[in-house]
Amino acid sequence: MTALYVLDVPENVPLATVAGADPAVTVSKIGPYFEIAADGVISIDRRATGCRHAVWYSSVAGLRGARITQHDKDALRVEPG
Amino acid sequence: MTVSDHRVRGVDHIAYPTFDPATTVEFYRDVLGFPVVHSICAAGWGPEKHPDFIHFFFDIGNGDRLAFFYYFGLEPFGGGPQGDAYSRFGEDVPVFFIRSRHLAIHVDSQEDLLEYRRRLDSSDWPVEMQIQHETIESIYTHDPNGYMIELTRALRPVTPQEDLDAELTIEALVEVTSQPDPSMAALLTRKAELIVERAAAWEEEQTATRERSGA
Repeated sequence: MTALYVLDVPENVPLATVAGADPAVTVSKIGPYFEIAADGVISIDRRATGCRHAVWYSSVAGLRGARITQHDKDALRVEPG
Repeated sequence: MTVSDHRVRGVDHIAYPTFDPATTVEFYRDVLGFPVVHSICAAGWGPEKHPDFIHFFFDIGNGDRLAFFYYFGLEPFGGGPQGDAYSRFGEDVPVFFIRSRHLAIHVDSQEDLLEYRRRLDSSDWPVEMQIQHETIESIYTHDPNGYMIELTRALRPVTPQEDLDAELTIEALVEVTSQPDPSMAALLTRKAELIVERAAAWEEEQTATRERSGA
């Protein structure tokens, strides 16, 4: 499983919401963190989240069974690894 | 880890050298409006050859102070084309590194931030950048000595979970940088383990504390 952790603070909420719109992705909570998980790739579109750059580039709190293969102005892509 | 009680009360003063006290006073007192609150006129003394000097202080709010040393007869030291009155760097040193050391002064509101922006923009030291970071908004300029100064306001109060997150980050950082080849990927992998281990228990503790206090 690929899992991405994001702290539940107001500016990160849209990121979890956009990630969860993908039916292959499950968003749950572990303490004050969102756990964004999937069997395969997780790809989140930055513009859809409305996150400004400073928020976007500091939103990832943790990675489990996963590696970031894209984190730029367009998207955050996390793949199994 | 032993946690000692926390007794300190903020910044008493931070001190920088200056070779240009007149322009320094113009910038801090006349442009920014920081009152001069203290000064020491000292003859050089001590075992080492020491010039006569003036040590002067500006109030930066909250009782905290920004201080300068002016040494009579002292000339700036070399070291490269970049940097400030205290430290000079070669051309190969990246700007992000040079800017990493700076003083950030807190203001309470956007209105106050914009008031300082107005004062700077109508001076010889206009604002160079205005940036909304993750949870703060800041303006930046360099003072007449080349020191980077930031004025900043909080966009929202800090939440308790950010303290937990900082704790887990630092624990992962200390571990990862104690091992070969530290990287962001290694830190985030270790931090995920700490999140799985501790985050749920932290939240239960927070809830229990809130219930005990009747909130």
